[in-house]
Amino acid sequence: MPVAPAREPVLPNPGPGVSSQELPWLELSQITVPGRGRPRLDRVSLAIGGGERVALLGPSGAGKSSLLAVANGQLKPSSGSLRWLGAPPARSGRARRRQQARIGTLWQDLRLIEELSVQQNLNSARLATWGWPRALLNLLWPLDTAANREALAQVDLGAELLVQPVSALSGGQRQRVAIARLLRQDPELLLADEPLASLDPRLASELLQLLLDQVTPRRALLLSLHRPDLLAGFDRAIGLRQGQVLFDQLASSIGPGDLAALYDGELPGSGP
Amino acid sequence: MAGRGGGKGPSPDRARIAQNGPSGVAAPLAMVAPALVLIPVLVLLPGLVHGGGIDLLKEFLQAAITPSLDPLVLGSAVSGLGVTVGIALLGWAASALLGLALALASSRQVWSSCCGQTWPANFLRRLLAVPRSIHELLWGLLLLQLIGLQPAVAIAAIAIPYAALVARVLSDQIDALPSGALAALRCAGVAAPQALVTALGPPLLPGLLSYGGYRLECALRSATLLGVFGLGGLGTELKLCLQSLEFHELWTGLWLLLAVMLLLETGLAGLRRRWLMPRRLGLGGLTFTPLGPESGAGTRGMGQTARPDDLGRRGREMVLALVVLGPLLVWLARAMGVQPLALLHWQPLPNLGGSSWASVLALPWPQLVGSTLLLTLVAAGLAVGLAPLLLLVIAPWPWARPLLQLTWALARLWPPPLSALLLLLLLKPGLVTAALALGFHNLGILGRLLLEASDDYQAPAEIALQGAGVGPRLALFYGRFSGLARSYLAYGAYRSDVMLRESVVVGLVGAAGLGTQLLESLSSFAWDQLLGLLVVYALLTLVGEDLSDRARLQLLAPA
Repeated sequence: MPVAPAREPVLPNPGPGVSSQELPWLELSQITVPGRGRPRLDRVSLAIGGGERVALLGPSGAGKSSLLAVANGQLKPSSGSLRWLGAPPARSGRARRRQQARIGTLWQDLRLIEELSVQQNLNSARLATWGWPRALLNLLWPLDTAANREALAQVDLGAELLVQPVSALSGGQRQRVAIARLLRQDPELLLADEPLASLDPRLASELLQLLLDQVTPRRALLLSLHRPDLLAGFDRAIGLRQGQVLFDQLASSIGPGDLAALYDGELPGSGP
Repeated sequence: MAGRGGGKGPSPDRARIAQNGPSGVAAPLAMVAPALVLIPVLVLLPGLVHGGGIDLLKEFLQAAITPSLDPLVLGSAVSGLGVTVGIALLGWAASALLGLALALASSRQVWSSCCGQTWPANFLRRLLAVPRSIHELLWGLLLLQLIGLQPAVAIAAIAIPYAALVARVLSDQIDALPSGALAALRCAGVAAPQALVTALGPPLLPGLLSYGGYRLECALRSATLLGVFGLGGLGTELKLCLQSLEFHELWTGLWLLLAVMLLLETGLAGLRRRWLMPRRLGLGGLTFTPLGPESGAGTRGMGQTARPDDLGRRGREMVLALVVLGPLLVWLARAMGVQPLALLHWQPLPNLGGSSWASVLALPWPQLVGSTLLLTLVAAGLAVGLAPLLLLVIAPWPWARPLLQLTWALARLWPPPLSALLLLLLLKPGLVTAALALGFHNLGILGRLLLEASDDYQAPAEIALQGAGVGPRLALFYGRFSGLARSYLAYGAYRSDVMLRESVVVGLVGAAGLGTQLLESLSSFAWDQLLGLLVVYALLTLVGEDLSDRARLQLLAPA
């Protein structure tokens, strides 16, 4: 067997889903993000492999959003390294954008473009690969209607919504359109920042199942949950408390003791 | 910011919109669409270049970094600047007081609470349309003929149209205020003046101050412009230097003027922030509507809550400012030798009555009106469309932003007739040249406004697009421009109306519609023609004002 090349990541606690032969989809090593008083993230390390569904748990203020912001390249850590599919974030703008096009983020505030139609918003997921001509054409003419229709069908929405402006949709419809946009981007790493926070329980479990269903062996999902009772369906769970990783284990092996330690006795039953 | 609540059905309004679908052009495209006028301009441009003055132009640009530092030149530039600033301040102060009085007099609410009738208000509003519709340059030239060269002439030339504009904006705002508080006070037996001040004063104050600040910036530009046409101050010096090709001395005056203008703009922006007043982009609707879908982004000042110890501070500072300003203005008036009573001594004019109307009718009216409109259209398209385009171009390079800001500041400050004169070094006289000069000036104004609004506006969609690997230009275009488009275009509509009025100032380029004819008639004392031209000009600007109001209401109506 050849010696593993120096680029191969050496992880303190490789997750159960990561085989040492395979590069992890997302890898954070000793990530530290400073904050007021105590660091927002304190030497956080984790690795997520292909096909894994990982939940991020923790009380509010634990650093879940900061972790996701580091993971999608929006927040620069003061120390530690980040690797996407084995490679660190590129220096040159163009190469970095190519990397980011393979990472899809579902934002808590959705970040759809209110003034454009659903079709135009779905197509905006492809903007990273389209040039200016197609980007401009998208504003004048319906493009890729078949693909958009299919994406909407996957999130259980009808094709008549394609021409509606996003501002005219209801809250649940907007959530689904945001997920459909993620599907259109076809990313390899899916990150979601408390996507279920303000939804009623039925819609929340539907959308959660939708997201979980998207994970194929070619993709990985890291989703921050505000409630531990939605853990069913995840492979792994990482507990974050005050910027530090408390546990990183199989979801099925999480017990009440772990949760109590995480939330310090206050289970977040009543919202974020 | 959590996503909107889950699973509820659409409200009735949403359902209605949902049935009709989105109408019109996509927002970001609409924002840059006016730049399409560039196409015919660029096609015509090569035919207009005569290149005779290229060396002079190069010399002009090179002199920018080597202004003359001769004490004599500096001294005369500073004193000229002093006169310009004095004219601007005094004209602005006069227009503020007069405008406030006229606003109260033309407000329906005020009249109905004082004596139950509203017809005086409507009558006065119609009447005020006349001074409002005539550009301050025309007022200046007319008063110059009537009264002669006096400092008071320039001040009156600014004060008259400005007062009418202020009166309109303020009376609209007063009438838009809910009358509940006022009615309650009157019911309790409070006399009309006290009730008006208490009920209407506080809600009106932020808008009043914000608009007042904007008017002061305009006054400085107008004072410079009036100087170019001989009414005194730095403008006169700038024009003389330009005509005698003394570029180094020209730039001395220009840099000084730029310093004063930037100082004024920064000072006013600081006061705005300090006194929690709304940003100017809200001006586009005459009522302060928020910018973009996130309410509070454009009126961020108003959204901030005052701390308890702040509540009296603003009032005290404002009173202090007034107390300082009053004597300063009086001193300024004395120092400049302003004699308000000189305005009443009119010089004898040849009679207007028995002249031949044939000469008036002989003017090529369709051509004049048509070319005025075309000039405005092209200039407006250039100004409105190029500002976002330039922002798009420099998006990946943050270092280019200060350069662009400086260019725009110079464009704002450089009076359009002087730009026109400079362009004549390169291009033949005509409509395109005039439109380029007017458009360049307004590009500076609109560009700065757009930058301010863009900085104020949180664009989460832009960050999301960047996170998905979209380049900075496309992210700016799709993510930020979508939200800014409506308010920006509403302001563009307002500015286009101003440009229609301003088309007269580039009249000296020739073939520029009513403006050229007006200036010719003035200089040849053809009073009958002048009267006819003024009437048509006033009608045109009033129609333009009405159209621009409609466009603004349409754009700013809640979607």
